[in-house]
Amino acid sequence: MARDQGAFKLDHPWSRIGWISFAVIIFASYLLGFVLLSRYRQNDEALDIWSAICRGLGIAFDSGPAASARPPLHTPTTIAWTQATLNQIHAGDAQHGGFVALNCAACHEGSAANPAHLIPTLDGMEPEVIFKQLADYRSGKRSWGVMNAIAKALSIQDSADVGAYFASRTGQLLPNSGERVPQGGRGFWQSDTGARLVFAGDPKRGIAPCSACHGPGGYKVGAPTLAGQYPAYIERQLASFAQGIRHNDIYEQMRAIARQLTPDEMQAVAAFYGSQGRQLAAKN
Amino acid sequence: MYNSRRLALYHYWVAFAVFLPAVMLGAWQMLMRSPLPAPLDDPNAYYASVTLHGTAMAYVVTTFFAMGFGYAVTATSLGRPIRGIIAAWIGFVICLTGTLMAVAAVLSGKASVLYTFYPPLLGSGWYYSGATLLIGGSMIWVVLMIVNMAAWKRDNPGKPVPLAMFAITATAVLWAWSASGVELEMVGVVLPRVFGLTVQMDPGLARTLFSVTLHSIVYFWLMPAYIAFYTLVPQAAGGRLYSDTMGRLTFIMFLLFATPVGIHHLFADPEIGAGFKFVQSFLTFLVALPTLLTVFSICASLEIAGRHRGGKGLLGWIPALPWDEPMILAVGLSLVMLGFGGGGGLINMAYDMNSMIHNTSWIPAHFHLIFGGAIVIMYFAIAYEMWPRITGKPLCSKRLARWQLWLWFVGMFVTTIPWHITGLMGQPRRVAIFDYSDPLLAPMAPLVVISVIGAFILLLSAILLITILVRSQLGDSVLQAPLRYALAVNPPVKVPSALNGFALWNTILLMFMIVEYGYPIGQFFILKSSVPAYEVTRHSTAAGVQ
Repeated sequence: MARDQGAFKLDHPWSRIGWISFAVIIFASYLLGFVLLSRYRQNDEALDIWSAICRGLGIAFDSGPAASARPPLHTPTTIAWTQATLNQIHAGDAQHGGFVALNCAACHEGSAANPAHLIPTLDGMEPEVIFKQLADYRSGKRSWGVMNAIAKALSIQDSADVGAYFASRTGQLLPNSGERVPQGGRGFWQSDTGARLVFAGDPKRGIAPCSACHGPGGYKVGAPTLAGQYPAYIERQLASFAQGIRHNDIYEQMRAIARQLTPDEMQAVAAFYGSQGRQLAAKN
Repeated sequence: MYNSRRLALYHYWVAFAVFLPAVMLGAWQMLMRSPLPAPLDDPNAYYASVTLHGTAMAYVVTTFFAMGFGYAVTATSLGRPIRGIIAAWIGFVICLTGTLMAVAAVLSGKASVLYTFYPPLLGSGWYYSGATLLIGGSMIWVVLMIVNMAAWKRDNPGKPVPLAMFAITATAVLWAWSASGVELEMVGVVLPRVFGLTVQMDPGLARTLFSVTLHSIVYFWLMPAYIAFYTLVPQAAGGRLYSDTMGRLTFIMFLLFATPVGIHHLFADPEIGAGFKFVQSFLTFLVALPTLLTVFSICASLEIAGRHRGGKGLLGWIPALPWDEPMILAVGLSLVMLGFGGGGGLINMAYDMNSMIHNTSWIPAHFHLIFGGAIVIMYFAIAYEMWPRITGKPLCSKRLARWQLWLWFVGMFVTTIPWHITGLMGQPRRVAIFDYSDPLLAPMAPLVVISVIGAFILLLSAILLITILVRSQLGDSVLQAPLRYALAVNPPVKVPSALNGFALWNTILLMFMIVEYGYPIGQFFILKSSVPAYEVTRHSTAAGVQ
């Protein structure tokens, strides 16, 4: 193959075709890739040519350390689901909790102080949920009316006890059955928006099915059961998560999901869960 | 076939002996991913199996097949014995040793790192050493192809190199460029960590180096099929090749455009800048040129043959073709699969559309259809064409061979079409267990079951292939016509030196590689993005997640 020297001379036609094609391909693709396309990015202003070339090369000039100070670290909660925490919760004394819960009954049980049902019903709620929310109220990670003051008045042991008390009661909340077998009508083709979001979510928008954590079906520690909860309360909480008013969800998963929901969808999901528990209560 | 007979036969037999168990593993993997019960229901076994299936199909079967085909083509197209036959046997032994080392390491469960290696995953050193030996040993073949072509040119000054020889040398040169990436990854990143010379590995550098190999290796697999398209198909159809020059240009373009496009496998890698991703995506579209050129000239060659056989009218030449010949049937089926697979490939290579199907089962579906389908079916046809010439014994049954090809064709579509669809539905690839009771996954379950049926049709076809080859080899010797390559309509008398060698094109390719890969690889020496290795050898394979 050492006999192809002629091929290197530019007056040789194939050599000319080869090198000109090379130059045209490289020039055109670099012009498009580095000078033109790298200038633009969705929701960003167009860059000057030098910055565009840097972006094209992968030099992250616009994502380096910012000149301003870093925003303070914000932790959504002080609770971590360690074995020690869970042991503490499960050691709660329901009898003493009943005494503590006399403080709760006025708002959470009677309807006189709760005409719009913006206060959740707690009978049948998981003890972990009540423990965590009280801890978040105590540390100011969640704010709502008198709850912060009440939580500060309770000891950590009181929180575990009151959680055990509410968990031991039966009310309109649907108990966690832990049942994982899917039933019919739980797919994407569901016409009811609420049921579709609850059982299938919306993967295109990154919305996980609510039921994966809140039941029916799947349960995650710290996520409250929702079947039978007041729709108005659920809807208000979704709106608060969406607007960032409430921000005590570990890993921001509720904020991320709620931001994606339209007001109609929040209402549909809330209505769906609201209808679940009452149906069961009626059957019983 | 001169002195290449035994050499080619041994290479082919290693390829097909590995092929059958690898198909079995593939069928089991499909069963494992499906809602149906699978024997040995263990995710660790699944990843070992994926590694073995990929290593066998991507490195062993293809390399041995291409080497055997290369030796056969060299002797028959040049019409003289191969030079360097001892070196060829040494290469065979090295490649076989490497294969055995790699297979043993994967079977021991200590190298489940997938055939793409994926540092910082770190498996047994035997696996990497074996793969390095296998690929390194094949470089002896590369050198022998170049030496034989150069020697023939020296002895026949001014004469055009036969197209088959030109094409197989292009394949060898392409493989040398392609393999440089994985060999550099092994020698520069993985093996130093295996032998304890370094503490950390740079996954970005390793992936970028591997991307040099990852796309061009596909063209290394594909070239034997294209050589058959140009030099064997028109002959089997009883016609002539439409254009010798188009053939040469096709192989030159594959050489040029196959390698500097690998970054389209790294669209989701953060280290590579968007500019290079676009530029290589742009170049990838140019690879369609030689394929379109080939489809055109093969159809033209077949039309010449069909009309010669009495076909009339606009499409009358198609039924006039000798469809009972395995080679003609295979090319027809291959082009259909190439059409569907190529269409899917356009989505993979597009910078924006790629993100829809990134890491979904669309990807294995695509490369099974185009490689396992369009290309491997031509390997079968080549084997059926070559076997009588090598062994001196006729093919035991052309009817069985046609059944085998049809089963492979149907099986491949039944497997890959639902597989593509589950990819679009978001099913990830390389996952052993799916919970199909989940409402999100439930609609995929029937599609995966269809793929399982296809996988077992493919297994049936593979068993049939081995049966045909063994039965043919055990048959009686009959005087065989020598292997003939198709003549062009206008046989080349004198071709420009640029179309008779690779010096110019290698120089241009070198420039392409410097421009396309210089910065993406060089940046890692500044980034210093090494991380600790994740050793898969430390995890017991016995404890499955049951």
